[in-house]
Amino acid sequence: MNRELTDIVARILDGAKKRNVQGARASAYLSRESSLEWRDGKLDRLQESTQRGASVTLYVDQRYSSNTTSDLRPEALERFLDETVAMTRLLAPDEHRRLPDPKRYQGRFEGDLGIHDGDGLSRMTPDRRREMVQRMEAAARSAPGADAIISVTTAASNSSFDSVLGATNGLMVGRSGTGFSLFAEVSVKDVGERKPEGYEYGSSTRLADLPDLDRIGREATRRALELRGSRAEKSGLYPCVIENRIAGRLLGDLMAPLGGQAIQQKRSFLADKLDQPVASETFTVEDDPLFFGGLASRPFDGEGLTLKKRFLFEKGVLRSFLLDTYYASKLGREPTSGGTTNLVFPKGSRDLPGLLAAMGTGILVTGFSGGNSNPATGNFSLGIRGMWVENGRPVRPVSEMNLSGNHLEFWKALSELGADPFVHSSWRIPSLRFGPVQFSGT
Amino acid sequence: MRDINRRDFLRTAGSGIALLSLPPVLASCAGPTSAVKPAASGGAHATYFDAFGVDAGRLRRVIGRGLSRGGEFAEVYLQHKITHWVGLEDGQVNRAFTQVDLGAGIRVLQGDATGFAYSEDLSEGALLAAAETAAAVASAGGQGTPAEFSRAKHDNPYPVEVPWSEVGVDKKVPILERVDRACRAKDPRIIKVISYLTDEFCRILVANSEGLLVEDDQPMAVLSASCVAEHNGRTETSGHSLSARDGLPFLSDATIAEVVRRAAEYTLLLFDAGPAPVGELPVVLAPGVPGILLHEAMGHGFEADFNRKGISIYANRIGERIAPAGVTILDDGSGKIRGSVAIDDEGIPTQKTVLVEDGVLRSYLHDRISARHYKIASTGSGRRESFRFPPVPRMRNTYMLAGTSSPAEIIGSVKRGLYAEMFSNGQVNIGAGDFTFYLKHGRLIEDGKLKGYVKDANLIGSGPKVLAAVEMIGNDLEIVSGGGYCGKDGQRVPVGFGLPTLKVGAISIGGRSAS
Repeated sequence: MNRELTDIVARILDGAKKRNVQGARASAYLSRESSLEWRDGKLDRLQESTQRGASVTLYVDQRYSSNTTSDLRPEALERFLDETVAMTRLLAPDEHRRLPDPKRYQGRFEGDLGIHDGDGLSRMTPDRRREMVQRMEAAARSAPGADAIISVTTAASNSSFDSVLGATNGLMVGRSGTGFSLFAEVSVKDVGERKPEGYEYGSSTRLADLPDLDRIGREATRRALELRGSRAEKSGLYPCVIENRIAGRLLGDLMAPLGGQAIQQKRSFLADKLDQPVASETFTVEDDPLFFGGLASRPFDGEGLTLKKRFLFEKGVLRSFLLDTYYASKLGREPTSGGTTNLVFPKGSRDLPGLLAAMGTGILVTGFSGGNSNPATGNFSLGIRGMWVENGRPVRPVSEMNLSGNHLEFWKALSELGADPFVHSSWRIPSLRFGPVQFSGT
Repeated sequence: MRDINRRDFLRTAGSGIALLSLPPVLASCAGPTSAVKPAASGGAHATYFDAFGVDAGRLRRVIGRGLSRGGEFAEVYLQHKITHWVGLEDGQVNRAFTQVDLGAGIRVLQGDATGFAYSEDLSEGALLAAAETAAAVASAGGQGTPAEFSRAKHDNPYPVEVPWSEVGVDKKVPILERVDRACRAKDPRIIKVISYLTDEFCRILVANSEGLLVEDDQPMAVLSASCVAEHNGRTETSGHSLSARDGLPFLSDATIAEVVRRAAEYTLLLFDAGPAPVGELPVVLAPGVPGILLHEAMGHGFEADFNRKGISIYANRIGERIAPAGVTILDDGSGKIRGSVAIDDEGIPTQKTVLVEDGVLRSYLHDRISARHYKIASTGSGRRESFRFPPVPRMRNTYMLAGTSSPAEIIGSVKRGLYAEMFSNGQVNIGAGDFTFYLKHGRLIEDGKLKGYVKDANLIGSGPKVLAAVEMIGNDLEIVSGGGYCGKDGQRVPVGFGLPTLKVGAISIGGRSAS
């Protein structure tokens, strides 16, 4: 555990106790990031940052506030505590505000989560980042059809973080990790003034898990070219496949209503659906905080609650809400942790081409644009782009279309999960194949 | 919820994508506090930040270090920001968040390239180290000399008698309690109210190697209410926010009444709203909030960084007709509404920038880098979320000037279409030009008359096509100062927008009522 951060947390907790608060939770963090952006053969942006700060959550006479500062000078921290404790005392009491039961801090996983790659970090020198961005650009520019390229932007970055979390009822834990990411974006000429863009990226906790540089560059070019000449199809009910790397946009609208506040405040179409089927039997989602090398792996959550693998959906049945200590108390339920970590899915048997073959004719959705979902009713509508598919083969690009539905019906049309979990997000979603759903176009 | 940080996330969504969102009422917020209230000190160039030990001498030394590898330009941006967020839920003001941000962003430019670093530690050693990092963008060698500071002054368009850092939560609690009571009193079907008040005390200083030294004091307040109503087993939710660069006087009876009225009305009308249609229909945009269309469909495409790189759909089109005569679009930083700024985050005084004049593209929105690239003056559009980010060209308050048609005349001209009233968010692909915006509610138009309400549909179209298809412009410009944020390059900045009633061509509507 980082010594300096532990000292800051201890100082804040002591300061809170001195001010007669009943409970406090504090965290301190330090993160570093180095990134290089390269555009059309030249350095575009070089960035280095060191971010540090501290937060304190106060429980004062059953009153509650949460406060963050980047001003860690000792005298400023004292003043910060004076002001935030005084402010908290002026709020209305709330019997449900309290620190978690310390029992819930117990039984934490103490092993290696595979999220810290110090060796990888030391290899990410400024020269190495420069080689990476140049290599990706060269690959983008040597891909088939590259003469249509207007501009190529590539980026490489690495980061590390350290954090410590403590509470006055017996918690002092730390985490640290590293992150690596690569990005390439290509703009190409299309008819008229249109200049579609394609991008590709990779993100991982360990350097060796980053995708191949050449592949990232080539993919960005391929994806940009693929969008040329796109247009809307006629409105209609079409089967579709949602590509893995963007499926999180759709899933996010299904996950948000699982949160404690949404449930308790009646802003959730899932509030009365616990242990009921809400999706097809194909749909199983587990939250796995201990996934080795996972982008969101952690033994405890922001309240210090010990995390374990759990089902959120099991064969279409909703198995868990996301309840922090406060909303669990308000709802008269047990806390389940108020967020998700790594989401994992059963592995399907077919890759993306296999899913398209199974679909036959329909739409492959490769991008979402805008849109929203009504958390109270489940109605949603999202802009899409992608490919029109016939006999399992993408035949022409589509854009300026919307996908709409109601989440309580939509997920029942899920027919198949792909064999291609997207490993560059903590939500390791595979491509998803659906039966006929509503698309609007011309 | 996600692993990767927000910057990475937006980047992965493609840097050519820009988003706009009105404030999510359920957002978990970690907001700021003073923790420091420095007294003014003396000296020729004494600034707010002298009390933090960052005087003119230290600024010059840091800028000098920024130039130490041969960079052409170096700049220090200091910020002290205290955000308070106080919230009401289940009838009680029982939660508050505070966030203090204090730090310096240091930028060195060499041609179009940027070196950037920031520090939350304002000690000389930490600032010099950050400047050293940013300096590495240049490798020519040689030591530039920063010019002597000349203190720039500007009018204060948003003076505040009592800064938010001095306003206690006791002044805010009764306001939220009033909002709650008033919303519930509107209709017994309203069963839940979430309301919050956000205020910001923000002090910035910009100093650069050309000798500019300028400060600004940028207050902000947002009042928001969101209701849940139940009726016959159905649940609906909607809300409203108002915002201004102002102090406590902003939270007047009139502000409170308007937030309450609209939050309640927008929620209750949803019980009478059916699903929106599917497919292409002519659209009439109501005045005000539908200005999101200008922001998404055109505004981002006018930001000069996208044009400098040649990737905007509007690249190389200055002087060309891009809309029918009568269409004039401004981006305006004046006043004290949501997107107003007396100076931008590069220290340039704000202006009313005419983007489109009578249908002809006149100007992009420029920051220092793009202005230098195009060899013209900056439009004062360099904005940043905080000291943790370098500035990029951004909108302020973007609106279209009023035309001559009456709203009734415009609606009367449509046989079958959609009257789009309330939007929550939008997005655009800068290069392809396709934009979306999400309709919370609107009404059908049949035979020139407003008919039943519809709700929850994404609208998607091509920005240039929609702009070219503007048919009638209302005489009723309404400028909106809600709680909207615009996201670009992983940075959020507050923006305003406005529109008169506007008839545009067909837009694809992603509703659920397939016919």
